[in-house]
Amino acid sequence: MTDFMEIPPGRHYMKRWYLSCMLWFFGRAIQAAARVDDGVKSEFAAMPDNFTFCLGAFPSGPYMVVGKDARGRVRYLGSCISDRTIHLHLMFKNPALLFRVFAFQESTSVANARNRLYVHGDVPQACAVVRIMDMIQVFLLPKFLAKRAVKRYPAWPLKRRTLVRAQVYVRAFAGL
Amino acid sequence: MVTPDYYEFGSRAHIIAGHGAIEQIPGLLSSMGAQNPMVITDQGVVRAGLVDILLQALDSRITVKTIQDDVPADSDLKTVHTLAGQYRKYGCNAIIALGGGSVMDTAKGVNILVSASSDNLLAFSGANALTHALNPLVAVPTTAGTGSEVTQVAVISDPDNLRKLLFTSGFLMPDAAVLDPRMTLTLPAPVTASTAMDALSHAVEACLCMGRNPLSTAHAHEAIALISHNLVPVIRQPDHKPGRLALATGAALAGMAFSNSMVGMVHTLGHAVGSVCHAAHGTCMAVLLPYGMAYNLHKTQHLLADLLLPMAGADVYARTHPAERAQKAIDWIHRMNQRLHQATAGAHAVCLRDIKNQDGKGLVPRHLLPRIAHTALGDGSIFYNPEDLDYDDCLMVLEAAFDGALLDLSRVKKG
Ligand SMILES: [Fe+2]
Repeated sequence: MTDFMEIPPGRHYMKRWYLSCMLWFFGRAIQAAARVDDGVKSEFAAMPDNFTFCLGAFPSGPYMVVGKDARGRVRYLGSCISDRTIHLHLMFKNPALLFRVFAFQESTSVANARNRLYVHGDVPQACAVVRIMDMIQVFLLPKFLAKRAVKRYPAWPLKRRTLVRAQVYVRAFAGL
Repeated sequence: MVTPDYYEFGSRAHIIAGHGAIEQIPGLLSSMGAQNPMVITDQGVVRAGLVDILLQALDSRITVKTIQDDVPADSDLKTVHTLAGQYRKYGCNAIIALGGGSVMDTAKGVNILVSASSDNLLAFSGANALTHALNPLVAVPTTAGTGSEVTQVAVISDPDNLRKLLFTSGFLMPDAAVLDPRMTLTLPAPVTASTAMDALSHAVEACLCMGRNPLSTAHAHEAIALISHNLVPVIRQPDHKPGRLALATGAALAGMAFSNSMVGMVHTLGHAVGSVCHAAHGTCMAVLLPYGMAYNLHKTQHLLADLLLPMAGADVYARTHPAERAQKAIDWIHRMNQRLHQATAGAHAVCLRDIKNQDGKGLVPRHLLPRIAHTALGDGSIFYNPEDLDYDDCLMVLEAAFDGALLDLSRVKKG
């Protein structure tokens, strides 16, 4: 195979960089919300300790790994999937499809209905993770964008919309 | 309907339907080089004399190696493993699945194991875990309901872990679905009613849910017409062969539709009622179908309105004001349940409270509704439903369906 010409990836660098940033912040926001928001907390409470899930794209990322440690604390575990056991995979078939979701061109549920992602793992846990993702999107996005990302924009109480949301933002930036 | 800018549809179902259809099985198996089938069936089918009819239809080309007739009402892992052992012991090279959804799903599970020479079905659970074509499998449904004869899905329960395992793969599609009206002639009226309502719920959900596309909708509309026009006449005259064939065809069409578009909250809640209370799937579907339609009304008004035509016919459709057609379709399902209730002398349940076992004992007590609602949140079909559902939403719908009350649409959160 000496005359095999390797084609370097070109214009997808920007999209990949954008996705990596989004996943990084999203992962930290999950960790933050698991500390301060009762809704996210209760979804994680139903999961076993030492449980790890990842969201990403075939065949080579980017990825986001979040897990619950032995003491039940939820942590963002970085963007590498090779050095640990992952119990639940939510994998888009390619990065372009993941980009559609993170660029708010398509909601997670529409992507799922269009058979754009593989789910490997326990179904009830996958259901819980999708609900967590919906809540995080409502926390992070302005209403007009979040409305495109989730099926139904929730009517949250004032405290959750303001104080808890601010805490999620601050903690996600600070990595708390 | 609006064509989505992206969709997927696949169906390579080979359907052999009509009087004398099972007589085609020998030629069919021979053409696949599989003359030594195992017959998988259950006790009810044996008692109805259907195994005898099947055996008479087979000729000298075929040697049935073994008949396994002990499949339970809920296909489980243990049965699948046992039957796979029998398949190998008798040197079979094909399977004839004769029965309802449980028998067909069991047969699919057995076929996975024997084709892959494996002893661990768990290794193949989930989506697309199969990588090779399976041995020949011919499905002969004896109910007109689940559509498993034309789907690429199998559901097998794992009682030790209290869960249902889902298997999806193109390879799970049976090589042929043989729809012979003789196979459903003796089906008791309440079972005919509930299994047909399961098929109707597949068709309706295929039209409403998020995976819908023009191809699945076309299959589903025809399924709704066939089931709607033939169900009550067949209940009144059980040996009506054309009506039986129409129901079987409707169920197969609905199966093709929903295995592509998936199903939504009617199945989300129905699966949960089934696993918490062990109520029959079709019965849960019949009760919950109008509630699922009403809950999604604000998001699927135009789609529901279109369903009135295949359901109630052109006259009713034309006479109904366009703005009222969606609600009329919901009312029509409620009325269908009432008519089936009368035609089966009260055996067909119209609300969750009325679902009973063979001894007449209620299966769904009110105090279990919260647990059912909680279980429903873990069912994968919830994501295909047009509107979101949280715990309170599930409980609200279950409470209305428990008493047979109309769903209070003002309480449906619209976001
Ligand atoms: Fe069903």
